[in-house]
Amino acid sequence: MKLHLRIWRQASRQSEGSFVTYEADGLTPNMSFLEMLDVVNDRLTKEGQEPIAFEHDCREGICGSCAMAINGEPHGPNAGATTCQVYLRSFRDGQTLTVEPWRAKAFPVIKDLVADRSAFDRIIQSGGFVSVGTGQAPDANAIPIGKGIAEKAFDAAHCIGCGACVAACRNSSAMLFVAAKVSHLGLLPQGQTERKQRVQKMVVAMDAEGFGNCSNQYACEAVCPKEISVEMIARMNRDYAGAVVDQI
Amino acid sequence: MNKEILRMIQSSIGRKWIVAVTGVLMIGFVVVHMTGNLQMFAGTPDKINGYAHLLKSYPLVLWSFRLGLLATAALHIWGTISLARENRMAKPVGYAVAGRKSRLQVTLTSVTMVISGSILLGFIIFHLLHFTAQMVDRSYASMETVVGGVTMPDVYRMVVTGFSKPWISLFYVVAMGLLFSHLRHGAASVWQTFGLRDRNSAQLIEMGSWILAAVLFFGFSSIPLAVLLGVLKL
Repeated sequence: MKLHLRIWRQASRQSEGSFVTYEADGLTPNMSFLEMLDVVNDRLTKEGQEPIAFEHDCREGICGSCAMAINGEPHGPNAGATTCQVYLRSFRDGQTLTVEPWRAKAFPVIKDLVADRSAFDRIIQSGGFVSVGTGQAPDANAIPIGKGIAEKAFDAAHCIGCGACVAACRNSSAMLFVAAKVSHLGLLPQGQTERKQRVQKMVVAMDAEGFGNCSNQYACEAVCPKEISVEMIARMNRDYAGAVVDQI
Repeated sequence: MNKEILRMIQSSIGRKWIVAVTGVLMIGFVVVHMTGNLQMFAGTPDKINGYAHLLKSYPLVLWSFRLGLLATAALHIWGTISLARENRMAKPVGYAVAGRKSRLQVTLTSVTMVISGSILLGFIIFHLLHFTAQMVDRSYASMETVVGGVTMPDVYRMVVTGFSKPWISLFYVVAMGLLFSHLRHGAASVWQTFGLRDRNSAQLIEMGSWILAAVLFFGFSSIPLAVLLGVLKL
């Protein structure tokens, strides 16, 4: 199997990037997208060229590292899958694929396909945590949590912070990410203490990073590899209003 | 109101709430406005003329209402412009290849909110100059009628005279098409901003906003069309 690749190459933060064309040959349909990039990089290295920089870690869809847009769609064409879980059978033999880093002001490109997503870390630092008592580890079921709440919180907790929501959004809005974190912690009894402050602080941090604002088109939900629902954003909007009313 | 609250209202979500609340108020206004307008079809000009006279007979109420509506519209415009500006700045570089529109849920009505809103603003200014300030056709000021012994402006005559000009009718119908487009996305969006939309209600909300937008389009457009078709005449 063969693919024509147009890959964004950019030497550093400061430098101007451009697309470079590569022919990837000798591929099999069962290779993952990242394995295909490995094959290309292997050849580039042997030829003494700089390999394509891309982020990867677990390669099993749970770490959120493999951030890249394939033909303008974050994580490629498949629903509910990260780039590492996209296999070449999803493409036609001889297809041209344009591969780009996440595009957002808050995610500046560091090199080639690698964008700096530390803005997410700073949002988490602002309020994405719960305070727990020190001492011995508590009993596993010491705090009873209803099945419905547990399920909803878990749906939100699926977020792997890959940034596909921001990448897909026309406005580079991070609201699905922030809403997933706010909902995950805000639903559980352990997260109630800081619930009001959390939503406030995380929204302030999100705005400060230069993300855009949700205009309710829900591209984020469509591309999210963990299929996180925009219901989370609705919950965050409600929680935020509650926090404001509380202040009055 | 302390500084903290003011800052919270000016955040991204705070401004989204402002846009949604003012949007709902304006939707409420257009629904009432359309219902009032449909009295054109009452069979007698006295009905709408009497209604217009009633509205104008309490100047204090009328002007408080007008100023409130002006403030509402101003907040709506301020909110959307500031949010939209940030949105543009947040995505300085787009993708070289656009993803599939179907996948990314790009709809014509949702990506043209600023355009449809701006043209609607232009339309509203024209509409106010046309029927409220009566500056488009000066002869409206002298149109009067007597209902039950009371002399009052002949609104029925103004409307029929105004819409007899095809270009004016066409402009009104096109503007109502844009109102449809704006509310098709806007009316559905407020539910999300208020935090009332979930998986189960999503389809109902989309359908409901479509129906609301369509009812308003046909309700408002029926009057210029009826005048042009000769259903409503002097």
